[in-house]
Amino acid sequence: MAVDVTDKQFIAGLIDKERRAQRSGGRWLVLPILALTIAYLTPLYYLFVTVFKTSPEYARKGVLELPDSLAPILDNVVQAWTIAHLGEAALNSFSYALVGAGLAVAFAAAAAYGMTRLHLLGANGWFMLIFTGTLFPFQMYLVPLLFGYQRVGLINTWFGMLLVYVAICIPFPLLVLRNSFSAITREVDEAARIEGASEWRVFISMIVPNAVGPMIALFLLQFTFIWNDLLFSSILANGIEVRSIMVALQSLQGTYSTLGPNVVITATLISSIPTILLFIALRRYFMAGLQLGTK
Amino acid sequence: MIPASVLLSPQVLKEARRRERRVAWRQTRIAWLFIAPAVLMVALFLLAPVVFNVILSFTKWQKFTGIDQFAGFNNYARLFRVPYFSEALGNTAVWVVGAVIFPLAVGLGLALLLRNIPFQETFKSLFFLPRVLAPTAVGAVWYYVYAPRGVLNSVITGATGSPFDYGWLYSPDTVTGSVIVTFVWQTLGITMVLLLLGLAAIPRDPIEAARVDGASSGQIFRHIIWPLLLPTVLVVTILNVAAGFTTFDLLWVMAGDYPGKRTLSLAVYMYYESFSNGAWAYGSAVAVVLGAMVIAVSALLAVVQSRVSRNIR
Repeated sequence: MAVDVTDKQFIAGLIDKERRAQRSGGRWLVLPILALTIAYLTPLYYLFVTVFKTSPEYARKGVLELPDSLAPILDNVVQAWTIAHLGEAALNSFSYALVGAGLAVAFAAAAAYGMTRLHLLGANGWFMLIFTGTLFPFQMYLVPLLFGYQRVGLINTWFGMLLVYVAICIPFPLLVLRNSFSAITREVDEAARIEGASEWRVFISMIVPNAVGPMIALFLLQFTFIWNDLLFSSILANGIEVRSIMVALQSLQGTYSTLGPNVVITATLISSIPTILLFIALRRYFMAGLQLGTK
Repeated sequence: MIPASVLLSPQVLKEARRRERRVAWRQTRIAWLFIAPAVLMVALFLLAPVVFNVILSFTKWQKFTGIDQFAGFNNYARLFRVPYFSEALGNTAVWVVGAVIFPLAVGLGLALLLRNIPFQETFKSLFFLPRVLAPTAVGAVWYYVYAPRGVLNSVITGATGSPFDYGWLYSPDTVTGSVIVTFVWQTLGITMVLLLLGLAAIPRDPIEAARVDGASSGQIFRHIIWPLLLPTVLVVTILNVAAGFTTFDLLWVMAGDYPGKRTLSLAVYMYYESFSNGAWAYGSAVAVVLGAMVIAVSALLAVVQSRVSRNIR
């Protein structure tokens, strides 16, 4: 079939037909997708109605029924906050995540600079050494860290917990930043070096500004990882002054808990607020970070 | 102007080479300073513990007894004697298979459905929402979803009209499947986003050409979309295999009341034996077995992945 591709009307007709076919097919699909979405979001809806119920109200009503008023959330927050010492735990986790992710990305960036921009003997070997740190499941670190920490007195200390987080968060950013730095043209730092800039100067004012995007994405990824961690903090720092928010949350929940589900669910919401806010504020970087996670 | 013969004389060349070497050596020393923090942190807190873990697994170390007694392969021999270990191993296998197949199947179906509909971005964000919550928080919420008087039973009661109060997390028949459903619920969004990216990268021309030639949708999927999507599918598989082997938070939080908790997976078994029972050496033997399996399967998948991406190019 010969088609006159210069015939604008014919082409427009084709495009229109295709678009209409797509749209009508699309409209038909919206209903099942909508039903699926509602089922999918039911647990979140449950979370949302439960934080506004009192304990007797929760016991009396169906779990998916709407609450009588919005006021009980205040009492739920106060209860969760005081019983689990959520404030202290949140501050701990926030400082672990902020300092830990910051240092890890900074160390990874410095190492990536040393491996890609400087003459380094055995650069690949050093890289493989650090990258080996992503091969093993976390379960292999736990017992030795507990043993070592008991020996040197780092157990149940803020600093000891921080060190572990920094170490765990280095290898992956290094992998990503090594690629990002390699992509920056060599002329940038050669020029600066001829001008007499020190290596530190070249790193800080030539290379880092060219990789701010990936560095923010990596920071967010590692911040979220540290904030969400239950495994390491439940073993290495479970004392009430140093424990993380997830350990505090877990202490509220389970068989021995006498608290109503409304208080526990409120605590889960509180513990998720920072990552939710970060996600909303920096969604672009967050999505970029998740895609980094797959390369 | 200097004549070329002087410029390229052996003496000048030698001098230049020496200077170059001096600069290189100076740079190497500076480079050491740049990589030192990362290398030291990783070596001290990740690699040394792994080595030490392997050593520990050959000792008798547990609460109140010495680390200095050599146990040989006793800890490993014990793994195969206790029923808990083989049960945990079986459940880990279920986890790995479930964590790979369900997110992929549901995520792919959803990605194909969502591709051409209005409000695609809205639906994408909604399905992504659970991923923003911490696994511990998700576990705590789903603990009440599965509770006897929880959300799931109340929906079933509403649908069937007769009261239903099954304890999903208390029975060995349903506990693993229930937690896997929660895992899929949380990871479906990211799986779907990745698959949508993979789908978007597939050129439209061969699909259009096949359609013009009268190929059915099924044929188009099997012969065009699936082969081109395979690299993305493998990336998702690699991520979820690792998660299937090592998921801990969800299980620990959701199945806190389950009497056979330790058999839920190797990750839970390792934690339970080490930190609830204080059998540290035995726990590290479990960790070694888990590590060996994770590394073997990951290596296998990496080989498959490099084969596939080579074939596509």
